Amino acid sequence: MKLKFIKSGLLALALSTSVMTMAHAANKTMGVVVKIGGIPWFNAMEEGIKARAAEVGMDAEMIGPTSADPALQVRAIEDLIAKGVDVIGVVPNDETALEPVLKKARAAGIKVVAHEGPGITNVDWNFEMASADGFGEAHAKLLAEKIGSGGGEYAVFVGSLTVPLHNAWADAAIAWLGKNHPEIKLVGERYGVAENVDDSRTTALDLIAAHPNLKGFLAFGSQGPIGAGRAVEERRKTGKIHVLGPFSPGQGQKLLKSGVITGGYMWNPAEAGRVFVTIGKMLIDGVEIKEGTDIPGLGVVSPDLATHNIITNNLLEINTSTVDGLAAKGL
Amino acid sequence: MISLAKSFNKIFGNETLPLIGFLFFIVAVFAIATPKFLSAANFGSIAFQLPVLGLLTLAMLVPILSGGLNLAIIFTANLSGLAFAWTLIQFGGPDAGWVAFALGFMFALVVGALSGLVMGFVVAYIGAHPILVSLAMMIFLRGLGEFLTRGSDISGFPEYMNYIGHGSFLGIPIPLIIFIIVAIICHIMLKKTKHGFSVYMLGSNIEAAEYSGLHTKRTLTLLYTISGVICAIAGVLMAARFNSVRVGHGEALLLVTVLACFLGGVDPFGGFGRVLPVVIALVILQVLSSGLNLLGANQHLSTAVWGLFLIGVMALRWIAGNLPKFIKWKE
Repeated sequence: MKLKFIKSGLLALALSTSVMTMAHAANKTMGVVVKIGGIPWFNAMEEGIKARAAEVGMDAEMIGPTSADPALQVRAIEDLIAKGVDVIGVVPNDETALEPVLKKARAAGIKVVAHEGPGITNVDWNFEMASADGFGEAHAKLLAEKIGSGGGEYAVFVGSLTVPLHNAWADAAIAWLGKNHPEIKLVGERYGVAENVDDSRTTALDLIAAHPNLKGFLAFGSQGPIGAGRAVEERRKTGKIHVLGPFSPGQGQKLLKSGVITGGYMWNPAEAGRVFVTIGKMLIDGVEIKEGTDIPGLGVVSPDLATHNIITNNLLEINTSTVDGLAAKGL
Repeated sequence: MISLAKSFNKIFGNETLPLIGFLFFIVAVFAIATPKFLSAANFGSIAFQLPVLGLLTLAMLVPILSGGLNLAIIFTANLSGLAFAWTLIQFGGPDAGWVAFALGFMFALVVGALSGLVMGFVVAYIGAHPILVSLAMMIFLRGLGEFLTRGSDISGFPEYMNYIGHGSFLGIPIPLIIFIIVAIICHIMLKKTKHGFSVYMLGSNIEAAEYSGLHTKRTLTLLYTISGVICAIAGVLMAARFNSVRVGHGEALLLVTVLACFLGGVDPFGGFGRVLPVVIALVILQVLSSGLNLLGANQHLSTAVWGLFLIGVMALRWIAGNLPKFIKWKE
């Protein structure tokens, strides 16, 4: 009887509801596969993709897998190849896992644009809204400023240990703090929890309990600052432990205003969505992207032709004065 | 006509005919909805996506037939994949030859078999519940794998791995060939051997099987070992498909394998079920997922449709089961 219960529980888990979106055929088509569907960051990106596609006369859709599993991204890209889209966009969960399927896409004559995947080789272009070092150091500087002269300990969260970009930010931040502020010390290793609110919260609670001298969290991953912020709030450490990191302003608005989250930097996911379509359109039209090309949303770029990377610094600071405006944009 | 259906049912099982009918029905629906559905590219995409899920489902099927469950299939596959990848790397990564492949494959099989053996042993001789045992094994393997790899990828495989994961032989995708071979072996093992007979008897009534002189403990140990071996094959295929091995690849597929088994008419309490209907159920799930992707539907929707589908099939089964009674009563 118990077995029956558990099994029907497993079946019920396979159920969930959602809204269907239809795409029309005729125009040039593009499919963007993101890390995971149904979270605010990628919802904003989807709006950007749709809006820009309507402007340039393309049919673009975003595919958000039900969990951040590279296997699901591979499946989604296989289906896009079968569908015969003109451009595939991808925000990779795991760069190496996608190489074979992206190679297949390019062999089928499909253009490939990546975002947050600087190491991918089978792409036409990968674009970044923030350079890894610049982004990591900006957060590190802000943390050092908030902790002040007393020194203390801090912990680092990343989205997952296999997200290269988050780890590159963490590397840059840890290196900058180690060099410029040796009195601020890292506890433990980095924790791969920051794409999940609950994991971030529980890990932060554990760390607060274990390290009485903890002064800050650097959380790289959209849910990390929210989760760590809730933990700080629960332990009544507001103002004593600083939580920094990129997060969705709408989601973190209240926590930021109550001072639980100190602040952070981000780039605009809707803008990234628009850039996806803009670059896709340029690739279809055969517009060459070279030193000094002005790409709307990125500005004047200097692409690295060897690694196919277009790296720019379009940082937005999230603080009490900017958060309302950003949240109002639906972020 | 009725006698034809009866003889078909006798050979292929009662579940097969309605499922094939269902398959044709949804193929027809998608073919009407989008012209791209009946294309070689789409069927190719389906044929490449099916095998990994298929192998994992077979690994799930064997324990379910005995009235148990194996929740550790994904991580057994991951860890076997790690053993395989480690061997290839020892032999020079991209330069590793076929000997390295054979050795790595053997190593993967040993790892998979060992994890299955331990589970089977605990289930059979200690009498612990299969869900608890396999859950414990799942957590152990996951932790071990993340500890060994620190959560990162192992990649850099020889070129023939790409052929195994993405190539075709006589127009048939290699992964599909591997899956069909394993499925046929499973079918023979379950239907034509003493061990297979014991598995069914054990799933129907373990006490009766024991008193009838079947060596139930040995059968249980062996069937979990076989499940582990199938996981190992799946693990190596995943390594070829994703060009890398990481603990967590394919995590999202666990519940889908359970779903496929029940959709294929396997009795959740064990004792009844065949390989062929489960394979057709897998094809149905894959067709649904690819078809909805072609239509540009939300990913969460296809999960919802899978669930709805299972409910629909259960209702139809009940109607089919009660129809003969109804007709008799009328006469």
